[in-house]
Amino acid sequence: MSETTHTTTETIPEEIQKNIATHLQPDEHIQLSITSDIRLDGTFGESWLLATHRQIITYSLNGSNTPHIVTLPLSEITGIEAKDLMGSGHLKVRTPTQGTTLARFTKGLNAKFNDVIKSLEQLVKDARPSVEDEKLVKGKLGRTAAGKRCDSCGKVIPHWNGVCPNCLDTRKLLTRLLSYALPHWKLATFSLVLLLTATFISLMPPLLMRELLDNVLAPTAENFVVKEAAYAQLYLLVGLFFLITFSQSGLNAIRSYILSKLGQQVTYDLRNQVYRHLHRHSLSFYNERETGRIMASITQDVGRLQDFISDGLQEIIRDVLTIIIICGILFSLNAKLAALALLPTPLLVYATLNFSERFHRTYRGLWRRWAGISALLADTIPGVRVVKAFAQEDREVSKFETRSEDLRDGEIRVAGLRSVFNPVMSFITSIGTLIIWFVGGGSVIEKTLSIGEFVAFTQYMFRFYGPVQSLCNLNHRFQRASTSAERVFEVLDTQPDVTDHPKVVTLPRIAGKVEFKDVTFSYEPSKPIIKDLSFTIEPGEMIGLAGHSGAGKSTLINLICRFYDIESGQILIDGHDLQDVSLKSLRDQIGVVLQDPFLFNGPIAENIAYGKPEASLAEIVGAAKAANAHDFILRLPDGYDTPVGERGVRLSGGERQRISIARAILRDPRILILDEATSSMDTETEAQIQEALYRLIQGRTTFAIAHRLSTLKHAHRLLIIEKGELAEIGSHDELIEQDGIYARLCHMQTELSKLRAV
Amino acid sequence: MNQLTSELTFLPQDARFYLNTFDDLSLNVSGQTYDNVTVERAFPLNAPDQFIIVKDDQGNEIGIIEHLYKLPKDSVTILQEALEQTYYLPQITKIHSVETNFHIPTWKVDTDKGPREFEIPSSRRDVRVVGGGRVLLRDADGNRYEIADYRKLDLESQAIVETMI
Repeated sequence: MSETTHTTTETIPEEIQKNIATHLQPDEHIQLSITSDIRLDGTFGESWLLATHRQIITYSLNGSNTPHIVTLPLSEITGIEAKDLMGSGHLKVRTPTQGTTLARFTKGLNAKFNDVIKSLEQLVKDARPSVEDEKLVKGKLGRTAAGKRCDSCGKVIPHWNGVCPNCLDTRKLLTRLLSYALPHWKLATFSLVLLLTATFISLMPPLLMRELLDNVLAPTAENFVVKEAAYAQLYLLVGLFFLITFSQSGLNAIRSYILSKLGQQVTYDLRNQVYRHLHRHSLSFYNERETGRIMASITQDVGRLQDFISDGLQEIIRDVLTIIIICGILFSLNAKLAALALLPTPLLVYATLNFSERFHRTYRGLWRRWAGISALLADTIPGVRVVKAFAQEDREVSKFETRSEDLRDGEIRVAGLRSVFNPVMSFITSIGTLIIWFVGGGSVIEKTLSIGEFVAFTQYMFRFYGPVQSLCNLNHRFQRASTSAERVFEVLDTQPDVTDHPKVVTLPRIAGKVEFKDVTFSYEPSKPIIKDLSFTIEPGEMIGLAGHSGAGKSTLINLICRFYDIESGQILIDGHDLQDVSLKSLRDQIGVVLQDPFLFNGPIAENIAYGKPEASLAEIVGAAKAANAHDFILRLPDGYDTPVGERGVRLSGGERQRISIARAILRDPRILILDEATSSMDTETEAQIQEALYRLIQGRTTFAIAHRLSTLKHAHRLLIIEKGELAEIGSHDELIEQDGIYARLCHMQTELSKLRAV
Repeated sequence: MNQLTSELTFLPQDARFYLNTFDDLSLNVSGQTYDNVTVERAFPLNAPDQFIIVKDDQGNEIGIIEHLYKLPKDSVTILQEALEQTYYLPQITKIHSVETNFHIPTWKVDTDKGPREFEIPSSRRDVRVVGGGRVLLRDADGNRYEIADYRKLDLESQAIVETMI
């Protein structure tokens, strides 16, 4: 809904101002100036469309150096046309004698030119006030269809992403994400302390090794001690080493448990919050989004966030910490050697980044090839009848073989990359050791470095590279987590558009009078579906809604249920404005039977009692009987306890329909809505359902939509909707007498049924 | 809602069930006699003793027994026997083993009707956990078995059930 408006006065370069000056009267000012990106001769390039309150001027270079200028007086214009063509758009105006193309532009400018048309229309109207009622503008430029663009930065949004990666404020998102951990700050602090301690302790063993070598195993002359003292030291070191390993394992166990707990708790809160919020949204929220994406934000995205909180985050902290501590130790042992030994690190970082980029690219390609094979299978196996009928087996096989070959080649490429990756990495990491051997070994010979220090150096070097490599993937990790966070927060941040205002009252049990007063409604601005609709329905009346597809019948019903809010006018039920009663109390009194009824996983009895969970068994059986469902239910293996829905017994359309009617009967609604309730049934089933419906509508205000007009025979009155307006209203006989739309529809259907009978 | 329940014909409490000379289940209600009637549970799992539908030999509904135990005692006994036959549902009391060969598990169990061995074609479809530890099984031939509450079986059986549900 938030279409950005574009400016229609762009700054005109001086050269052009000079060129057009001769065409302007002294009192004329440019009111509209706009660039387009295709010249009038079809080449790419800037051209200008200008307008004053008197005339339109087009300015285009058309490949030559002298500008091509056309002027047109506004007062002559009788029509403005927007043409959304296959590959570009045109803006054309007509005078009584000629037509002139004002501008050509690529599809990206569609939105801008829609605004231009509006301004132009205003200018023309101002120039010739006599033509106010005349319809000047013809056509509208569609939204750019192919790629979705980000509203704020204009970059194309990847379709698998849903959010603009360029506009992600990673830091803000992560801060917000961490705010969910705030209520659990005790756990978080505790685990952080554990993490620090454990990391610190885990880095101690090489230092012990130094002690062991320098003081016990290979003591230098000045450190030399007697055998007993050496043993005492050995036992001490062994004891220390044992303590370190033991406490390290213990700390790690506790830490990983606590962090998982923290992660689970945070995501539990988040998951439930997202789901609760989802149910507060109105239908329009679901219409605008794919079901899969909404589901993914609860399952995948929240799960990924949990991974990030409980694993990703602490790994990052641990890696950074490890690197700092190791550097500290190395430099305190021997600064010169440390500086030399760390020399290959930039090389390692570069190689890791380079390889990981390549890996991502090749894996993505591989994934696409796998998807291609799946798509091929999903296509040809269900279509095997066609393949056989046209004897195209060989071609399908060779198609498969081509893709299979692609996949094999891709896999081999990945294998090649992987087999180079490990050796290269281990070579780079060995360089550090090589330096330590070369330089450090020399120092040991020169006695400026002890053997213990030498060994400790080598050990720390090995431990140093792991964290460095994993930090190289940091960016990727943040990116993934923040994309997920963005999607989750998008759901949370969207405000439901149909809500109870604070002063709503509970709608008392109603008689069922429904009034529409000048109701106007549109799903998209400027495209009204319902226009100034007014009518009054008396309590208990059955109303048949008929009209062409897309005339607004279903929309009308959505408005009675207040799935959407109207733009202007009023809908009254028993004199209460829909806006002033609570949604729940309204919908509690409305029963809906849809064309394709939805059954939830669970026993039939539960499905019937969906709108009234506290119903007694007698009420459930009674409702099923009234809906003509009792007999077929008893034929099922477990009667009313038979599971239905996706994972249960498959029921036919007519059977499901009768269950949904029983559901509506049990709820005892005051207003009943039948949306094509019998359109997909065969004649016999339809008769049974009609009978059940007839029982259901007694004493309730009923709105029934039907294409087959014979199903509306019980209706007291018929509303014929045509393009969102009330075309005809009256009983069947009255409308036949009027000989309007309804009479024509009726006539056509009788003709059709005659044809069928022949 | 009275309007809804008024559609139901409940059998009066003096309805009497008996076996006639052909050993067929028969019904005498308000002076009228129906031979060879059939009984069906509307809620075989959740309310087996309520809403029992009685049909005549043509399959037309005579009426509904709202509550089995409100009938005369001898009728209850006879009805229970008839229902027992219709809904033959052996209770599993112990599971000896479940061996899976070629993806088809074979259950070796003891039931209240004696030992039994059967195959379950699809653990997803034919093993149903109804709630409260209750498990319903259907074997490859369509026979049904019930575990009233698997949490009350011996530990060994429990462990087996838990891997199968």
